[in-house]
Amino acid sequence: MNWRIRLTRWDFALLAVTAVGVGLAVVRYAAGIGSVANINNAYPWGWWVGYGIMTMIALGGVGFTITGLVEVLGVHRYHSLLRPAVLMGLLCYSGAIVMLMVELGRPWMVWMILVSWAPTAALYEVGWCAFLYLNVLLFEFAMVPLEQLGWGRLVRVMRVVYMPLMLLGVTLSHLHQSSLGTLMTLIPHKVNVLWWSDLLPLLFLFSAIMVGPALAILEYLCAARWLGFEPRMDMIASLARIEAWLVGLFLIFQLGDLVARGAVDAMLSGTWFALSFWAEIGFGLALPLVLLMMPEVRQSRRALAVACGLVIAGVLLHRLNVTVIGLRVRHWETYVPSLGEIGITIGITAGAMFVFGVLARILPIHEELASTPVSERRAAAPAGALRGAPGVS
Amino acid sequence: MTARSSAKSKAMIQDNTRCIGCRACMVACKSWNDRPADHTDFFAGPGYQNPRDLDANNYTLITFNEIVTGARPDWVFGRQLCMHCEQPACASACPTTALRKTELGPVVFDKNRCIGCRACMQACPFLIPKYDYENRAPLIHKCTFCADRIEAGLKPACATVCPTSAISFGDRDDMIAEAKRRIATAPGTYIPHIYGLDEVGGTSVLHLSSVPFEQIGYVTGLPNTPMPDLTHRWLRVTPHFFALLYAVFAALTWITHRRSHKQVDGDQGKTA
Repeated sequence: MNWRIRLTRWDFALLAVTAVGVGLAVVRYAAGIGSVANINNAYPWGWWVGYGIMTMIALGGVGFTITGLVEVLGVHRYHSLLRPAVLMGLLCYSGAIVMLMVELGRPWMVWMILVSWAPTAALYEVGWCAFLYLNVLLFEFAMVPLEQLGWGRLVRVMRVVYMPLMLLGVTLSHLHQSSLGTLMTLIPHKVNVLWWSDLLPLLFLFSAIMVGPALAILEYLCAARWLGFEPRMDMIASLARIEAWLVGLFLIFQLGDLVARGAVDAMLSGTWFALSFWAEIGFGLALPLVLLMMPEVRQSRRALAVACGLVIAGVLLHRLNVTVIGLRVRHWETYVPSLGEIGITIGITAGAMFVFGVLARILPIHEELASTPVSERRAAAPAGALRGAPGVS
Repeated sequence: MTARSSAKSKAMIQDNTRCIGCRACMVACKSWNDRPADHTDFFAGPGYQNPRDLDANNYTLITFNEIVTGARPDWVFGRQLCMHCEQPACASACPTTALRKTELGPVVFDKNRCIGCRACMQACPFLIPKYDYENRAPLIHKCTFCADRIEAGLKPACATVCPTSAISFGDRDDMIAEAKRRIATAPGTYIPHIYGLDEVGGTSVLHLSSVPFEQIGYVTGLPNTPMPDLTHRWLRVTPHFFALLYAVFAALTWITHRRSHKQVDGDQGKTA
């Protein structure tokens, strides 16, 4: 545990953006959702749900994908990605909860889900699973600071129940990641044929699994740069190979589903829907697939980061297409997110990144930091990071 | 969550061929539900219709549709209100059961259970539930079928005031028979379609019209199966999936950890 970290200008920039988001949220609570947001009667779910909930939860899937890879499938080679993945998962889910508190009309009533019995509602299932999983993530992550704080005896007790709880977390993730898709299967009359599918639950689950390694790789490369350790490119390149497979399989899955449903005409029509679809397929799947298949890209930090960033952007666009962009209600109704809506979500994202950055410096999150000799770390690294993480074996 | 139509289940016929567009139903609805009056705006749309769509202050709306019938353009009226589905998508989507179908037919809203997720608005195939976004403690707003009046043995407010008997109210079985009788006795007046008889598995409001429903702004192309079936297929297997996945993952973990026994011993020292 190293409390003496120095905040950089990046930290202050993130804090400033978070403060703007908090200010906008204050306006929202004081004067109602309509005062900051453009969501309306035709589009009750907009950017807040499409990005702040749907995409945040998908990105939070990094927690269960890397945990599943390392702990369930036993690929211990990626062990050093585990703690960052769990922390990112925790922060993404926390961010989604914060978003929910802004997005719900009556957030003070949210506990009502936990005392209701509504097994027909996809949102009920999502709410329960996400709530339970957030607790699992908290438990998993809490072992790191508790150990550092000298609560070794408690951590030993926690280790006894770690395995069953970890398995619970991975299982719950499969359920609610797919249920986010189930949510949208209810409205075939609203969602464009390009995106509405019987198989949306599986598509959503698959895309959450696909985005996990991409986010883990991107985080690893960013951490290597900003915290100043030497990335193990062989390890990260092999994960990029897995990622290429995942992206390729998802591309086949999505296009195959479209063909099977007979939606090829819609794909080739010159509508805005088709444009958004091709942007999703082209920049979010095909381009990163080609990049990830190239060995040079997998060995290049910058190119690999770009490829993984494209995968993440593609999942964002997919979720937006399914929940917002692909919806048609009445022909005169439109929805474009307001600056206020976007400002709050950027604030939440910046806040989560700030917390991650701080925790990554005061806690032993990255194993590489402990094993990289101080002399080989980058000069750009914050002073605090140099004192590393003595607790990491 | 849903009650299948029982003998007591009520229904309403909205006979658009009898409607003269007086909007007494809209006024009575506002009055009974204590909704404030709106400022009247003309929008670049069909004639004298106001407002353009349902909202938090308007639970029902007479739509004015300019349609060429015979030789000249004419107004053909339509009406929007909650259809009170037999198996409502809104209630099935509500995570807190704030919406439910009652024995008598109305789909009612319990404001004390609402968290404001707006899943019902997203779910409704007829685009009915609306929200008051300007409110700090907003609520879902939609036609109640005057559930309180029906329970007291009265007709809904709109059915009470209609001067041309365009709105009829009674037991659902009787209303279906009546709608069929009207179409059979005046085939020239009606198109042979009772909107709401089969749509999404049947509704408690049945519409009749002289022109195809898509021409007067109704949502058409809906399936005849209940909307909740779409999600139910997936959700009902959730508990089984949970058990199955947990068992599979536990087995996988056991196998992989046994295989790399030595490595695991080292790794378990590290936490997640």
